[in-house]
Amino acid sequence: MDYIWQGLQQAAILLFTLDAETYSAIITTIKVTFLSITGSVIIGVPLGFLLGYFHFPGKRQLRMVVDTLLALPTVVVGLLVYAFISQRGPLGWTNLLYTVPGIAIAEVFLILPIVISLTATAIEGLDRRLRPTLRSLGAGRVQLALTSLHEARFAVLIAGITAYGRAISEVGIAMIIGGNIKWHTRTMTTAITLETGKGQFSMGIALGVVLLLLVFLLNGALVLLRRRTR
Amino acid sequence: MSEPLYRVEGLRYSYGKHFDLDVPKLVIQHGESLGIVGPNGGGKSTLLNLLAFIDAPDAGTIFFEGVPTGPESLEARRSVTMLLQISYLLKRTVFENVVYGLRLRGEMRDASERVREALTWVGLAPDKFARRMWHQLSGGEAQRVALASRLVLRPKVMVLDEPTASVDRQSSYLIKEAIERSRRIFNTSLIVVSHDYLWLNTVVDSLVRMEEGRLVEYVAGNVIHGPWEETRERLFEKRLSDGQAILSARGTSLESSAILDPSTITIALEPPQNESALNVLKGRILNMSDEMSTENILVEVVVAQIHLNVRVTRNSAVKLQLVPGKEVWAVFKATSLQWV
Repeated sequence: MDYIWQGLQQAAILLFTLDAETYSAIITTIKVTFLSITGSVIIGVPLGFLLGYFHFPGKRQLRMVVDTLLALPTVVVGLLVYAFISQRGPLGWTNLLYTVPGIAIAEVFLILPIVISLTATAIEGLDRRLRPTLRSLGAGRVQLALTSLHEARFAVLIAGITAYGRAISEVGIAMIIGGNIKWHTRTMTTAITLETGKGQFSMGIALGVVLLLLVFLLNGALVLLRRRTR
Repeated sequence: MSEPLYRVEGLRYSYGKHFDLDVPKLVIQHGESLGIVGPNGGGKSTLLNLLAFIDAPDAGTIFFEGVPTGPESLEARRSVTMLLQISYLLKRTVFENVVYGLRLRGEMRDASERVREALTWVGLAPDKFARRMWHQLSGGEAQRVALASRLVLRPKVMVLDEPTASVDRQSSYLIKEAIERSRRIFNTSLIVVSHDYLWLNTVVDSLVRMEEGRLVEYVAGNVIHGPWEETRERLFEKRLSDGQAILSARGTSLESSAILDPSTITIALEPPQNESALNVLKGRILNMSDEMSTENILVEVVVAQIHLNVRVTRNSAVKLQLVPGKEVWAVFKATSLQWV
């Protein structure tokens, strides 16, 4: 038990003395997740809205595909993106391998189905009285669609937060695409994996505490938003 | 001669194989207030959705001010607004809810004043309520905010689907006051569905009845449903839960329903002596309301589990000192019941 206790003490020191290596991993993680969530929200919210709002042939099948992609293993995404952006891959010229944008792009593929699926569910779950209400107040087609999205805003935010939670806690993509390069692409999760492997628990615990804190904050936001959607 | 507000011809709408709405003809004039009554599932709400241009009919035409009109006409939809039984409020403040329709129309010049006016009409103090969020309102307040969202638009037609079904007496009174004011000031026509017969009577000029998707002439009256039992005197008898009974001349079947015109019932304060009428039923007054554009009062008397509407003149009501809660006797002949 002693080494856990010592690890906790050293973790506190690393965090309070603003240890450069620890904070480098934290900042890299924030950069990666900010880019990936921005990309997936910009692409995913409109697609999820279209999927939830309109009725078209093949909608159920498309929904099934999106829902299946929710369970996409991170290492599979990492592997596929690696195949494309490695020097021998068709997109090798982009030089995205072992870069922060490279990790972010791969994470977009991972969390995009979450944003699309939960946004579609949010739109489908809108109150049945909304459409007749808006029509009877004189809304045209575009106004009807925009107000519907606005009414689902809390549930769409939940989609974003859930996706962010997945991005911040994943390790497979960051490891394969980022390569866990110190000061450069080392994220909190890859750093924890490496430091634990080396038997250096203190930095692992320090990063684990920060990670837990962020996840706790995200969960708190989710609880608050869920209350709003009722 | 100017075109009526609505002229409906050959209107049909189906829900699968189970329900058909069929309205061959219906005319509603400008400024008219039409009430629609009838049992649940009879097609009242379906008809309202069609008249509010929310849904399109399967067949037939709705002429709105002489022009064939459907949901695709934004102009028509902006002339007609509908209030649902349990209204949906946008997840915004009260002010944003009420101003929403004006925003859609780009009529924001005097929007604040109009919102304040509409809120005042429905009995909600603007300073107190305008900034409240949608989830900070009671059911009655929410319904009144929804009504204010319609009133602010100064619509040509207001379609109201059971507007008082989920609100308290006070709210229902305020809703009545507000829609009457809109009618008076903006000549708003009303199409109202309600099960609250007494409330409806104070709001509308005319009534139609909707049953199984068909509009039928409204016969003012109380509906007494079967089953009945046949007595030795060859009369039909309906036993009430308190031991009293309603007697009627023989009907077509023991399961039939009969209509009892409120004008054929009299109210007495004591059991009448030497009364030829076979039905002398003890009850209690539950409600009283002014019957619009007449000199009559409608008195709702509860006899066991049955609610009887009785029409009396204003003079009689004063003379008999009728008030809610008073014990009275409802008297009517066995031949007053008309079988349907």
